[in-house]
Amino acid sequence: MAYRFDIIAYRVGDLAEMLIIILMWSAIYDGNTKIGNYTLPEMLTYLIIGNLVAVLLRNFLYEVVAKDIKDGLLSAHLLKPISYFRYILVREIGRIAMVTMISGATQLVVTVFFIDQIIINNDLMVISVIILMVILAFVIEMLISYLSGLITFWQDEVNGLNFIILRLRKFFAGGYFPLNLLPPWFLTTSFLLPFAYSFFVPAQIYLGRLSIQAGLKGILVEMVWIVLLYIFIKITWHFGIKKYEGVGI
Amino acid sequence: MATIEVNGLSKTYEYYKKQAGLWNSLKSLFHRQKLFTNAVNKINFTIEEGEMVGFLGPNGAGKTTTLKMLSGILYPTSGDTKVLGYTPWKRQAVFQKQFALVMGQKNQLWWDLPAMESFILNKEIYEIPKDQFNKTLEELTALLDIKDILEIPVRKLSLGQRMKCELVAALIHSPKVLLLDEPTIGLDVVSQNNIREFLKKYNKEKKITIVLTSHYMEDVEALCDRVIIINHGSIIYDGQLKKLIDQHVHHKILEVTFTEPVTNDNLNKLGKIKEKTDLRVVLEVPKTEAKQVAIKLLNDFPVDDILINEVEIDQVIRNVFTK
Repeated sequence: MAYRFDIIAYRVGDLAEMLIIILMWSAIYDGNTKIGNYTLPEMLTYLIIGNLVAVLLRNFLYEVVAKDIKDGLLSAHLLKPISYFRYILVREIGRIAMVTMISGATQLVVTVFFIDQIIINNDLMVISVIILMVILAFVIEMLISYLSGLITFWQDEVNGLNFIILRLRKFFAGGYFPLNLLPPWFLTTSFLLPFAYSFFVPAQIYLGRLSIQAGLKGILVEMVWIVLLYIFIKITWHFGIKKYEGVGI
Repeated sequence: MATIEVNGLSKTYEYYKKQAGLWNSLKSLFHRQKLFTNAVNKINFTIEEGEMVGFLGPNGAGKTTTLKMLSGILYPTSGDTKVLGYTPWKRQAVFQKQFALVMGQKNQLWWDLPAMESFILNKEIYEIPKDQFNKTLEELTALLDIKDILEIPVRKLSLGQRMKCELVAALIHSPKVLLLDEPTIGLDVVSQNNIREFLKKYNKEKKITIVLTSHYMEDVEALCDRVIIINHGSIIYDGQLKKLIDQHVHHKILEVTFTEPVTNDNLNKLGKIKEKTDLRVVLEVPKTEAKQVAIKLLNDFPVDDILINEVEIDQVIRNVFTK
């Protein structure tokens, strides 16, 4: 199926991107022991663990929802006595279950490849907090993707907004570099936004640079965001559905 | 309480105009022309239980927009409608379980799976009890004669087969109202006929209220006593099809073939010549004179064969539209 090739393409792209960033940082370090308070092993661990988390959190919900709205496929769902929101979320989880497992597995293989250069942490408490955080982050990622998809209701006016959103998400998640290389106020802001918990915070807890308490606080922030996002979604849907034209019939 | 009540229903679409070309693309980043189109303009009608009504109109008339509002897909700009007592765009589950919409140009079945899977999915979504599901499935598949294709992936079916499966999927929850948007479009003659027969039978047996939009006159002729004709968003006729024909048709068509060539002069006196070759003529004759003209032709001309036809409904509708 074309879908399967898509997955392989994504994986290759993922890995390539990660390797490039690793190479870049290795080059930047060039013998220096520390940059911005990170040793090279710490930086590499940050990137590899962070990417493992990121890969587990990936979903294609934005594309699905945007297409349904743009192509008028949403109409078929509107006829049925079933919540589109719940239906599409559950369906997406089903669709990506296998993909996520494969991605996770390949990422672990790559991790083993770098095993000499990265730091190992097998504190059970730490791992548990990280797992809980990642589970909540998965929910948040789904909700954000769904919300971004709903913006398609206004596609006549806000075309291309999602491109910006995607880049911002990765940036605020710390996917390009650790967020504490930036000014402190920036870091504090990131902790209040949901994105940091999809990469930066789990990786930092793993490195021991953030305490378990900070992790628990983060989990609380995540839960608040889940509620907020749900409310935003309800509001956006309420206004968006009135604009819906169901074209393509 | 009527099954479908429509009051002053209107829908205006907004859209942006953008002219072709690079300069215009840049300009449109700052300023775009916003335009409105009145797809549906304050329409009113009432449909009672068990009726089968044809919704006719040229492309862009507002038929599909009206159906979308009746099924709750679209919010109207103004006006009101009640289907089975419910406001469609509130999309209450209890309402949705009682109606179905079938779109001739859009699939609602799972493309890669056999039709049966879609039926079972609908069974769960509409919460149909198992016994009722099996009974209805048996009934519908027998009537439409599709028992042998239920296990084939939908994308491998022909258009006619797919349409039949769509109908089963739509009717599996025994709705009281069935809305059809161009159900026979693209189908071959045999399939079209099958679907028409099915709809006629189903409507009679189940007393289900059916509204169907169509371009094909045969659909409307075969199925609907009542037609609502819509054009440019307004209803221009709502009533019996027969009455429409009587009101607008004042002629009959005589098709005559001769054994020897006949000149125009004599024929001109009898009626308006629509087509003429050496041995064949098509004459338009006032209804009341048709019989006399036919007799005259048989007596005075070397006639081989003569046919007295009605004006095609197509033409009737076209006349109504261009009024």
